[in-house]
Amino acid sequence: MSTLELRPDISPVPQVVKSKRMPPVIRGILWSAIGFLVINTLISYVLDPRYGHPFITQVSITFGWFAAMVGWVLGVGAWEGAVLPAFGHHGTLYTAPGWKRFFEYSTEHKVIGLQYIGSSAGGFFIAGLAAMLMRLELMNNSMWLFNYPQQYLTTVGIHGTIMMFSVGTVALVGGLGNYLVPLMIGSNTSAFPRMSGISVLLVPFGIVTVALSPLLGYWSTGWRGYEPLASQDPSGILFYYLGVFALTLSSLLVSINLTATVIFKRAPGMTWGRLPMFAWGITTVSLLNIIWLPEIQLTFVMSLVNRLVPLPLFTATGSPLTYMELFWLFGHPEVYIVVVPALALWQEIIPVMTRKPLFARQWGVIGLIFVMMLSGFVWAHHMFTNMRNVEMMPFSFFTEMISIPTGFAYLVALGTLWRGRLKFNTVSLLVLMSMFNFLIGGMTGVFLADPIINLQAHDTFFVVGHFHYTIIGGMVFSWLAAMYYWLPKMSGRMYNERLGKIGAIWIFLAFNLTFSQFFLLGLHGMNRWVSVYPSYLQPMNFETSIFAFLLGLGFLFHLVHIWWAWRAGQKAEGNPWESKSVEWITASPPAEESFPVIPRIVSSTYTYDNDEPAVIIPSDGKRVATTS
Amino acid sequence: MSDVVLFGILWVILTILGEIGVSLWGHNMYYYMASTQAIEGNHAAIFLMIFLTPIFMFVVLMLFFVPFRFRAKDGDRKVKAATFKTNRTFISIWVTVSVCVNVLFFIHPTASAAEMMFQEANPANQQNTLIVDVVARQWQWYFSYPQYGVTNTVNANGFNDLYLPVGRKVEFVLRSYDPNHTYDPNLDVVHDLWIPAFGIKEDVIPGETRFMYVTPNVITSFEKNPMVRVQCAEVCGPGHPYMWAPVHVVSSSNFATWIAQQKKQNG
Repeated sequence: MSTLELRPDISPVPQVVKSKRMPPVIRGILWSAIGFLVINTLISYVLDPRYGHPFITQVSITFGWFAAMVGWVLGVGAWEGAVLPAFGHHGTLYTAPGWKRFFEYSTEHKVIGLQYIGSSAGGFFIAGLAAMLMRLELMNNSMWLFNYPQQYLTTVGIHGTIMMFSVGTVALVGGLGNYLVPLMIGSNTSAFPRMSGISVLLVPFGIVTVALSPLLGYWSTGWRGYEPLASQDPSGILFYYLGVFALTLSSLLVSINLTATVIFKRAPGMTWGRLPMFAWGITTVSLLNIIWLPEIQLTFVMSLVNRLVPLPLFTATGSPLTYMELFWLFGHPEVYIVVVPALALWQEIIPVMTRKPLFARQWGVIGLIFVMMLSGFVWAHHMFTNMRNVEMMPFSFFTEMISIPTGFAYLVALGTLWRGRLKFNTVSLLVLMSMFNFLIGGMTGVFLADPIINLQAHDTFFVVGHFHYTIIGGMVFSWLAAMYYWLPKMSGRMYNERLGKIGAIWIFLAFNLTFSQFFLLGLHGMNRWVSVYPSYLQPMNFETSIFAFLLGLGFLFHLVHIWWAWRAGQKAEGNPWESKSVEWITASPPAEESFPVIPRIVSSTYTYDNDEPAVIIPSDGKRVATTS
Repeated sequence: MSDVVLFGILWVILTILGEIGVSLWGHNMYYYMASTQAIEGNHAAIFLMIFLTPIFMFVVLMLFFVPFRFRAKDGDRKVKAATFKTNRTFISIWVTVSVCVNVLFFIHPTASAAEMMFQEANPANQQNTLIVDVVARQWQWYFSYPQYGVTNTVNANGFNDLYLPVGRKVEFVLRSYDPNHTYDPNLDVVHDLWIPAFGIKEDVIPGETRFMYVTPNVITSFEKNPMVRVQCAEVCGPGHPYMWAPVHVVSSSNFATWIAQQKKQNG
């Protein structure tokens, strides 16, 4: 078990060569452009010229895009940080001071975590802007904002794709997971820091790719890319496949890294029985990613090839249903990828805020693991409208049964809340709100699991309401709670309690007033993916849009508040929540080397029934061997 | 102990209020129902609501109870939090109830309602079924009545029109292709036949023939309620929102008149 010895290898003595150095992001963009131009030109003019010699063809842009991705990653710093060292050179690893650290290649898990959180937040507001445009269009039942339905549908697709693949899948795993998991288990690094430095660079690249998809033409499939519509769409769909490829590749690398970190990097005494709930959540969600992300990547590669060649794989002479099966095979585990870390966050934060030991811990872990396992058995409940009748029952069964392990998260959370001494602050308020929202998301899911009801509610705004309740209500609210909770750790500063509470109540009201009306709209006959709809639905759509704008402003309010607190908030105490978890024994914000001496964990970190520390720093000042 | 009693009393009160709400509002959930399938679905939903209400109220009450009752007062360090880490009775009840409720839901209404749906589709039960051939293309619905020799029914404006007799089971035969361009069998995409007032929808998939069974039980029409319309519910390109057609549920004599008129139009 060596932890510190690895350090010198991965970050050689930094040689800061300030004056000669191009800013890494600029160099990344430059190398990216060069890579694209070289490969694109080679293909469109030399290897595969098309009639009329267009400079951009579908084939050339696909390969050109891959070259651009490689150029971007190498240009930002993977060349010196990962490639040269792999060939035995001691690359010059620059470390810039201050905020510039976040705009270069890094192998430090805390920098990478914040890079992920920043990228996700960027994706959240880009995709959020798309949502605002959609709600603006829907205020009137005719085309008035957009000129053509494809523009609306492309907006829907960009919103969904960026939200799912760069926020839902990334913020809690790549972001909080990278930042917190090594700290929580008493390690100075993650298992594969060089790979981790590369993986984070794929997120902004993927987001930009999807956001720029209209350059190649509008696409109409939404985030699911259903065939055979996708193969008929204009070429914008190419940037959907490619952008998602970059984003899923990033999440896959994160998951490999964090799984290995949890298995191999735990400090002495951090047994599986003491592993923090958030680390358990990240482990289970990483296993889900490792199982299902390669599956969806291959599906999209198949779709891409199907389009480029072209092949008739998913047309009337092929099998359109096969694409749907392959998509949802990943698509349903995906929603648990989004929500499992949020459930784990509740269980992580509540004991600290109630000053009470975690209730029924083993049931919490069982819940997370069974949700992970069952999530692979439920995908076809997205297909009640197009599957054979004989196939319905098993999927309906497992879909209903998955609410049992999901309910264990509530069992643990409520059991811990009962007769505690709750610190009623922004963090605990947001956790309680998240539990309320996810309850509604989960219970409407019970209705959708029932085929006879599903056949009415499917493909309507009822379903849209349902999954926004689980994803915004469950995951985004928990993400915000976590940002406030760990803000003193990440920045050394405290948020403003009153502003935080105002913001929490603001988004809670706006969120519920927006999405509860989605259920009613759906039941009243509002189908999905429409920019034009019957006039009787207009009044409710109009007011729903107003609440949606308030929700968007509420999220901006939190962004500004967190930004302000980060820069200018009151200096926080080292451990303002008096948590017993390992991450709080480090400095706030932690130094590059979080633990000068590797700590030893002597009991569960949730033992708030006594005042004994759960973590001790060995007094001999050296690393300790693994203790029994 | 008083916490448990207070919580219990509040929970019972809230559950009773919730159940009153379900009985007052539950039958409005589908807004407008014009088929036995919609009524079936609404009954299933009401059953779920009746059993979910106490569970919902339990969790929601807890989320409000905790911050009011178990809140740490500023500077008050004398009152300590409880120290229990587990409670065998509570966990046993929780696990048992959640397993039982989910098994119950699977048996009824899920499996029981699905069984009725499958019986509708049983070939042995199609004595008097009206067959309507539906062809979906980008972006239009074509309706034909093979039992009456009528193809592509349209109204006076040439807009595709669907008439159904009340009280008679309908078998929609769903296909997706472009009847105007049959030289390319790969032209069309996935559509979805949805009639909101009938409470049911089915995807229409290129290369497959699929079926949907529904029994309209009220004389009604699109003019009476806009939910009585065929609406494409699966995204199928830019014309998706425009891919709809009015529905008319009429008496059997009016249906016969309409068929005769369509026959004349068909020539």
